[in-house]
Amino acid sequence: MPRADRAPLLSALAWRLAGAASVLLLSGLLAATLVRMAPGFGMDERLLDARRSAGSLRAIESETSGQRQIARYYWHYVQNLLRGDLGNSTSLGRPVKDLLAERLPVSLESGAAGLGLAWMAALAAVAALELYGRRSTEAAASLVAGTLLCTPAALLALFCAYLGAAPGIAIAAILSPRIFRYLRDLARQACRAPHVLAAHGMGLDPLRILAFQVVAPVLPELLGLAGVSVSMAVGATIPVEALCDSPGVGQLLWQAALARDLPVLVNVTLLIAALTIAANLAADTARAAREDQEAFQTAAEACA
Amino acid sequence: MRRAAVLLLIAIALVLLLANVLAPYPYATQFRDAPNAPASRHFLLGADSLGRDRFSRLLFGGRMSLLLAPAAALLSTTLALLFGLAAGLLGRRIERLVAAAADLCLSLPWIFVLLAARSLLPLNASATESVLVTFGLLGTLGWAGPCRIVMASVKRHQRSDFVLAARAAGCREWRIAAVQLLPNLMPLAMAQFLVTTPAFLLAEANLGLLGLGIPEPAPSWGGMLRELENLPAAIAHPWIFAPAVLLVVVTGCCHLLVSADKQTV
Repeated sequence: MPRADRAPLLSALAWRLAGAASVLLLSGLLAATLVRMAPGFGMDERLLDARRSAGSLRAIESETSGQRQIARYYWHYVQNLLRGDLGNSTSLGRPVKDLLAERLPVSLESGAAGLGLAWMAALAAVAALELYGRRSTEAAASLVAGTLLCTPAALLALFCAYLGAAPGIAIAAILSPRIFRYLRDLARQACRAPHVLAAHGMGLDPLRILAFQVVAPVLPELLGLAGVSVSMAVGATIPVEALCDSPGVGQLLWQAALARDLPVLVNVTLLIAALTIAANLAADTARAAREDQEAFQTAAEACA
Repeated sequence: MRRAAVLLLIAIALVLLLANVLAPYPYATQFRDAPNAPASRHFLLGADSLGRDRFSRLLFGGRMSLLLAPAAALLSTTLALLFGLAAGLLGRRIERLVAAAADLCLSLPWIFVLLAARSLLPLNASATESVLVTFGLLGTLGWAGPCRIVMASVKRHQRSDFVLAARAAGCREWRIAAVQLLPNLMPLAMAQFLVTTPAFLLAEANLGLLGLGIPEPAPSWGGMLRELENLPAAIAHPWIFAPAVLLVVVTGCCHLLVSADKQTV
């Protein structure tokens, strides 16, 4: 692509990045404000200890006074964040950086496994229905997906924990019906397109039609769905880890929410927001690039 | 299918609305000599670990969930309509502001925001306060998704002939919004309402299972699902699954209504 044509794309990408960064900062501020407004915030049990001296009580008060002014707290937090200091957990008494370093791989592993399994199951089900589907199998698939969709995620997580399944399988059980529903709608629309009907009429191999005539045109939508599914996976990780007793970030967040642990809540909010924003940004950019490419091809074909 | 779903929903709603008449006992009454009693003539679905009649709690809890989830859905749909119309009609700056706010809400997973916000309630909050805050939060946090759809629809309608004609005839923006756009947005708003109602029912159930739902002694389907934490015991006494089954049936009926609407469109 010529340099002059690339400039608007790069400018759009820069705007998107700036927008994502501001949304990220705002979400951290929102989380800090929510926790600051919580009743009982800033009350330290140590202040009730009658054995402490006045100097010791003043020291404890000054220790927590920095968190009372939310703007000041957040400004210092962002400054420290840029230096790589995420603060200390008030409930667990450990650096948040260490807690995240310990728990993030667990969550990433189960989240990635769940997401991968969910996509594979949904894609396989949609492809099977498209290639060999009958009314009865279609109805059975809809019934299973519908029942899973109507069951609370936490209940599915409980069932998986009872059956001894890994957290990744629980996440896949929560995500696959959602992904399946979107994919099924997309496949139905794509299969009704005139070029697909024409390809069937010409007697082309159904597998070839599925790969080149059905999947290729809906690739932008698939990329969008991929971005959204990351957000869904993050949402599913919290009940799964809390109920399956998996020591990941979701469980840490649940414990922090119960203990009103401000540093952990703000950091995990930023982390989760960063993950979902990055996934959506990547999916949006890939989709926009794909749409531009398609428009370019169409224009080139029209010129030819 | 649509008619069957509507009839089933009406039947369930009627039974739940008549909870005062149909429930054999008040939901908080304890029978201390019958904790964990099995299903019998006295306790149709058995008694919970505190000796409270599970059938009565199911009816009263269902009434609460089925009244408040649609109320929260109505709140979020109304907010989505207001913000979507404002974004479409009040210029680029407001549109960008609303889009950024929607992005902010959508970038945080629901369950996380609910978990954080619900945990900030005072520990001594009354059951009514807790119920209202839980569903109020669901309503105020759920506007972003529907708002994006409303915004896209407002943009499409603004380019339509009837809006251009109204503008050419000198209609003001608020009049165009009220007379031209709002009636055309109502089917979309109805679909969003039907989508968000089961989502809120499920969100309340998830919060209940995590111990951050409606507090005791007020009953809710989400709170009753906590009994399923001891799954082996629940499998031995299958009537404990009644709230889960009812929740699946109600949300399933709502989904059927939405898909029937989609097929009609």
